[in-house]
Amino acid sequence: MKVTREKIENSQAFLTIEMEPAEVEKSLAEAYRRLVKKTNIPGFRKGKAPREVLERYLGKESFMEDALSHLVPQAYEQALKEQQIEAIAQPHIELIQTDPVIFKATVPLMPVVKLGDYHHIQVAPEPVEVTDDRVDAVIERLRHQNATWEPVDRAADFGDLVVLDIESHVGGEPFINQKGAQYQLVRDSTYPVPGFSHQLAGMKKGEEKEFKLQLPADFPEKLREKEASFKVRVAEIKEEILPELNDEFARQLGPELKTVAALKEEVATNLKLRAEEKARMDFEEKVIDAVVDQAQVEFPPILVEAEIHRLIDEQSRRFQIQGGSLEEYLESTNKTEEQLHEELYPIAVRRVTRSLVLGKVAEEEKIEVEESEIDAEIENMVSNAGENKEALWRALGSPRSRESIRQILLTRKTINRLVEIAKDANMHAGARKEEEK
Amino acid sequence: MHLYEVLRRPLVTEKNTILQAQNKYVFEVAKEATKPQIKQAVEKAFKVKVTEVNVVNVSGKTRRVGRRIVHTPSWKKAIVTLKPGDKIEFFEGV
Repeated sequence: MKVTREKIENSQAFLTIEMEPAEVEKSLAEAYRRLVKKTNIPGFRKGKAPREVLERYLGKESFMEDALSHLVPQAYEQALKEQQIEAIAQPHIELIQTDPVIFKATVPLMPVVKLGDYHHIQVAPEPVEVTDDRVDAVIERLRHQNATWEPVDRAADFGDLVVLDIESHVGGEPFINQKGAQYQLVRDSTYPVPGFSHQLAGMKKGEEKEFKLQLPADFPEKLREKEASFKVRVAEIKEEILPELNDEFARQLGPELKTVAALKEEVATNLKLRAEEKARMDFEEKVIDAVVDQAQVEFPPILVEAEIHRLIDEQSRRFQIQGGSLEEYLESTNKTEEQLHEELYPIAVRRVTRSLVLGKVAEEEKIEVEESEIDAEIENMVSNAGENKEALWRALGSPRSRESIRQILLTRKTINRLVEIAKDANMHAGARKEEEK
Repeated sequence: MHLYEVLRRPLVTEKNTILQAQNKYVFEVAKEATKPQIKQAVEKAFKVKVTEVNVVNVSGKTRRVGRRIVHTPSWKKAIVTLKPGDKIEFFEGV
């Protein structure tokens, strides 16, 4: 076997492997032995036909095919060992010649990651503050959520809730038909059709009205830009009564909130927590991005392909949960699969680079995950299970799931470490600036 | 009679491949053929020297096709011994 190696970029190696006729002969003989046991040739008991007869019966190509299908992987493995190449996935094999047997293999290699100087990254964390008007806005929202609706007799105005019977059709096909639909009049609302709320404003209780509206261009294909005829009858008009902002309102929202001041505090605390959480995540993202930008990564395109497939799978699963499907999504957005691939390409590249860099950082910083930590994590996940605890424990305790939990924990630890380093570097840089002053 | 119509086809079976080792070749021949005719036909067709011809009359089998009863035709089998050193090559290509 003669192996020639040409190394190309993207962390792939091209191998050209040539087989000697003796090896090919041996493989053909093995193929014969294998095939003859399975093939039923008329005139012969199974497994008793001589080689020439079998060849004549099956055809020389299928013989060769079978021989190759066993020979090629074997030869490939041997070539890998000889050349001392580490492949991370199945190679792409191309058969060039059958006589003598020559084939080319494109081997994806281990990705090479060179980290930059990530110890001196400077990322400034964003300050977190919760202003009073944010708190007030949330409290307003709570008031609206707990508002009561009182029926009134005047004409409908924006902000009111109307109960109406709607009959409508588009181009002969029924569109929206509902009795007793509750509809809140919001100025310039586009639901269900732009202009609907304006048509209703000024109507009195018991009034009937017929009108036509143009459907906008962002409706699904069948209804786009058609004219819809509506016939509505107002059954009731209700006005929104906002609750007073007082201690009783606070107690309504939560028995332990005795005063308005306590309510405001609670809201402020919640907002602050959420803002801090978001700031933390943003900071993490910035740090990771900085580290990734510094690093130089080389990897075979197979990794990106695999990532794209995984992304598409995730997306289609999400659609299924929502009741749609991948094909419907593609249709509604007028895309083809290739376009989707292309769109996802940069995202996939980013993801792959990220995970490779984080892995290298974990190696450098010697971050490890102990078995006990995995156990603790599993315990955490199981604690909410209740009766199926045993079964869940076993399911999560399988080596595969432990492995994936380990990965998740490792990533988390690495990110935390990077954040620490960045904060440290930041502080030192800040201190140095102070000194220079 | 019909020299070229004597031999119908060679018979390839397990037993016959073993016989080939003994320089015997088996053919399906016309039902009316006689031993001397067969000898001549083989010699002419394959340019070999035949030392002995043995002949078997094989009766057809009764089979059922759907509801009917059907007979497969009877035929004649000839095993032909060649002079040592002569050979007949069957296995060329498909």
